[in-house]
Amino acid sequence: MDRNQKELSRQSPVGSIYVHVPFCYALCGYCDFYKELYDRQSVSPLVDALLSELRREAAEHALRIMTIFVGGGTPTTLPIPELSRLLGALRDTVDLALREALEFTVEANPATVTTEVAATLVASGVNRVSIGAQSFQPGELLVLERTHQPPQVRQTIETCRAAGIDNINLDLIFGVPGQAIAGWRENLARTIELGPDHISAYALTYEHGTRLTRQLNAGRVQRCDPELEADMYSATIEDLSAAGYSQYEISNFARPGRECRHNLAYWRNEQYLGIGPSAAGYVAGERYKNVPNSAQYIEAIAGGRLPRIEREVLPPDQRAREAAMLALRLNEGLIFAEFAARHGQRAQDIFAHAIEKHVSLGLLRVEEGALRLTPTGRFVADSVVADFLA
Amino acid sequence: MDPSRIRNFCIIAHIDHGKSTLADRLIQSSGAVSDREMKEQLLDSMDLERERGITIKASAVTLDVDLDGQPYMFNLIDTPGHVDFHYEVSRALAACEGALLVVDATQGVQAQTVANAYAAVGADLHIIPVVNKIDLPGAMPEDTAIEVEHVLGIDTGHVQFVSAKSGIGIAELMRAIAKVLPPPTGSASEPLQGLVFDAIYDEYRGVICYVRVVNGTLRKGQKILLMGRQRHYYVTELGKLRPQMMPVDTLSVGEVGYVVANIKTLKDVTVGDTITDVNAPAATALPGYQPPQQMVFCDFYPAGGEDYSELREALEKLSLNDSSFTFEPEHSEALGFGFRCGFLGLLHMDIVQERLERECGVEVVQTAPSVTYEVLMTDGSVQRIDAAGDLPAPDKVEEIREPLVEVQMIVPADCVGNIMKLAEQRRGEYNRTEYLSTQRVMLTYMFPFNEILYDFYDKLKSLTRGYGTMDYHLSGYRSGELVKLDILVGGKAVDALSVIVHRSNAERRGRRVLQRLKEEIDRHLFEVVLQAAIGTKVIARESIKPLRKNVTAKCYGGDVTRKRKLLEKQKEGKKRMKTVGRVDIPQEAFMTVLEPEE
Ligand SMILES: Nc1nc2c(ncn2[C@@H]2O[C@H](COP(=O)(O)OP(=O)(O)OP(=O)(O)O)[C@@H](O)[C@H]2O)c(=O)[nH]1
Ligand code: SF4
Ligand SMILES: [Mg+2]
Repeated sequence: MDRNQKELSRQSPVGSIYVHVPFCYALCGYCDFYKELYDRQSVSPLVDALLSELRREAAEHALRIMTIFVGGGTPTTLPIPELSRLLGALRDTVDLALREALEFTVEANPATVTTEVAATLVASGVNRVSIGAQSFQPGELLVLERTHQPPQVRQTIETCRAAGIDNINLDLIFGVPGQAIAGWRENLARTIELGPDHISAYALTYEHGTRLTRQLNAGRVQRCDPELEADMYSATIEDLSAAGYSQYEISNFARPGRECRHNLAYWRNEQYLGIGPSAAGYVAGERYKNVPNSAQYIEAIAGGRLPRIEREVLPPDQRAREAAMLALRLNEGLIFAEFAARHGQRAQDIFAHAIEKHVSLGLLRVEEGALRLTPTGRFVADSVVADFLA
Repeated sequence: MDPSRIRNFCIIAHIDHGKSTLADRLIQSSGAVSDREMKEQLLDSMDLERERGITIKASAVTLDVDLDGQPYMFNLIDTPGHVDFHYEVSRALAACEGALLVVDATQGVQAQTVANAYAAVGADLHIIPVVNKIDLPGAMPEDTAIEVEHVLGIDTGHVQFVSAKSGIGIAELMRAIAKVLPPPTGSASEPLQGLVFDAIYDEYRGVICYVRVVNGTLRKGQKILLMGRQRHYYVTELGKLRPQMMPVDTLSVGEVGYVVANIKTLKDVTVGDTITDVNAPAATALPGYQPPQQMVFCDFYPAGGEDYSELREALEKLSLNDSSFTFEPEHSEALGFGFRCGFLGLLHMDIVQERLERECGVEVVQTAPSVTYEVLMTDGSVQRIDAAGDLPAPDKVEEIREPLVEVQMIVPADCVGNIMKLAEQRRGEYNRTEYLSTQRVMLTYMFPFNEILYDFYDKLKSLTRGYGTMDYHLSGYRSGELVKLDILVGGKAVDALSVIVHRSNAERRGRRVLQRLKEEIDRHLFEVVLQAAIGTKVIARESIKPLRKNVTAKCYGGDVTRKRKLLEKQKEGKKRMKTVGRVDIPQEAFMTVLEPEE
């Protein structure tokens, strides 16, 4: 065995891959993901670079891929040959024996999934599609600067199902300027009616540097009242659980067995490769982030350099804190035995102070060998978790 | 120079009536500064003075003037107009025989015109009224002159009409100075008496004293005695201010200049002290000055990460060139270790704080300013306290006396009704009304100082369309129905938020403070109860509801680092607060006790 192989065998294998495809047909005002307007010329060089980074990472690290998530941007903007080239290469990283169990998700916007695209997805092994529905009210879609129309969500789902993709997620946004509680419940009802397997419901955030934030600062849009936002969150949990979607994370709801395993890997602090401009990865104790710029990304890859903009090897203490931060977002919580096995320290000891404080405030509770947010605690998770971060 | 050719005078006026600009013109027409070097308000040399457009420190300058072929030496002192720096004016007066009383022709006599004119009359100075800004369209020079005569009782036989901006009337003014103001009266043959009328600190030369030679002659190399301190020094440098320092060998009787004598710190000199010759000492010292009196006190605590010793060093450094503020170590349960500082007024407080930040890079959390109270104890002793937190236990207190100020307000006649209402709200006692003209009135009131300290001037301005002006001076103490208002946050009394208030105001004041605190303190994970109490009796209550939602939905596509950094930043923000019990109180909250009822 050469040295490289020796190291590979010592390292536990990486189980997930995230790929970032930075193209969109139109740029939404609230969005702060790295993306650019779709331009046919830019596609091939980028896909080349993605594949090249993927090959290199695959050679560097032991892989045992269980989940793949292709996000963006809007991956379904890729022309069929490029899409199929990318997805095929991704599937090839997966051991044959594991392909059956693979969760392979592609993000799509309504109106970007044609029958051909759906067929390509299926042919490449994709078995889960995540659709950015966001809202069923044309007025709200306008505020969010989304270009699709509400009925296109149903059509997209039907196209996917017809092609054989039976695991569908819908993304929703609440707290949109001008949204009332009734409007939001209407969105939830319309979503439930469509019967997706998984629902992510996010509160709109005003990210630094976005057009929406500038509008907010200029007084052109009004931020949703925090009380109302809390009510909407409450309604979300209530209505979705009544419809058979149980909450398993702060913003995520699923039918039994349909939890997103890729996202679970993040929250359980597992390893993942991040491929593409702006993608983040976590491998061998190192968190990294790629440059959020396609040209620089392509240039780095072409020059044989790592396209990183940030790299951080966490000291054990930090690693434990991050693990807690992530685990607490899940309803299963921070599982004491697992935590101790992985970090060599008892969570009850290192976080004694924070645990005591928040248990006494009724925001955390200890049950079934785990530390969990209470239903009230879930509403203020950031405040709770902040106390676990030093 | 022959003393009969010397004129020593200061320029006094209400704020912004044009003293410094008039000094510019005088300097310029004497040729002391070339046109190229000339700039507006040349004597306002501190950055803060130039930025704020006000004079903070008095400055002296010597001008060689040629009037119709006759040489004269003018020593002029430009003074500040703001009431906080009134002591600078009184120092200057003692070094002069004359004063130019500048009055803005568009504004007429104003509150500090009155105060400064009386001070000059009290110091036996000859006064030349100077009606300024006659170039402005709204100027009423004749009416202004009549007001000066009528209100101040000053002879306007020699009144000068000028525009300090355009230079109109400056030549005539200079002749009048020579003709009307008396020369100094001292004698060259008497033993040396030099009045130290100001002192500054210079990093390289140590203390530089500004001196008016009243009798005798001051020489380079002379062995001198500071009569008050009884300390000896050698004069290493002697000079005139033109306005840059220009060394000379002697300063003779009647002259004004500076002295460097290896004096290490400002603490070694008392402004107002007399310099004499060790070998031929004067029999008596000159009258000297009252030390400046600190009128308001507040605590400075190091903000955020800064530490106590940094703050101490910064205060020590500033006190090197401003000896008119005081500081003493202080400890607050809520805020930790800091300093109790005394200032001449709120502007002075502001300036010191700004200099701490700018010149020393030190940020402070500041508590609400307080006046000084006298507390008569049951054992008959009297204590002076300048923070509510220092008030002794109620059973030991016989009575609390609050400082009173006599306030002069000059306002348009049609605003008198509104002003009287305001005065009543602030427990003012009416004294008298004087008509300056048919349109303008001077009201004299007695107020508890505390009632006019903070926003009274702003209120006065807004009730008089901006025309009202005021001046005040301390006028004794009087026992009052005063109580200590405590503010409790989460059940804990926060000492730095306590204030002494009049019983009749306590409830309203308490409510208002709680409302403002409610705005300043962020929601917590639990309910935060705010209470205002007198002793054990709660007189007002508010509550800050617990935070209902604080959770970012997204996980940023696996960008865990970003998520962590966001949360850490959220936590960082809290570090700049002061934590009392479990409650984080932002710095701004400590000033909320100042803001009276809406
Ligand atoms: N039009 C006009 N403006 C003048 C005249 N004299 C002064 N000013 C303006 O009035 C303002 C105040 O002038 P200063 O010379 O700073 O007044 P001051 O009395 O020294 O002010 P303090 O030192 O702060 O009390 C400045 O904007 C001057 O330019 C004048 O004769 N005519
Ligand atoms: S929200 Fe989605 S579709 Fe809109 S700009 Fe962002 S990545 Fe593109
Ligand atoms: Mg001035």
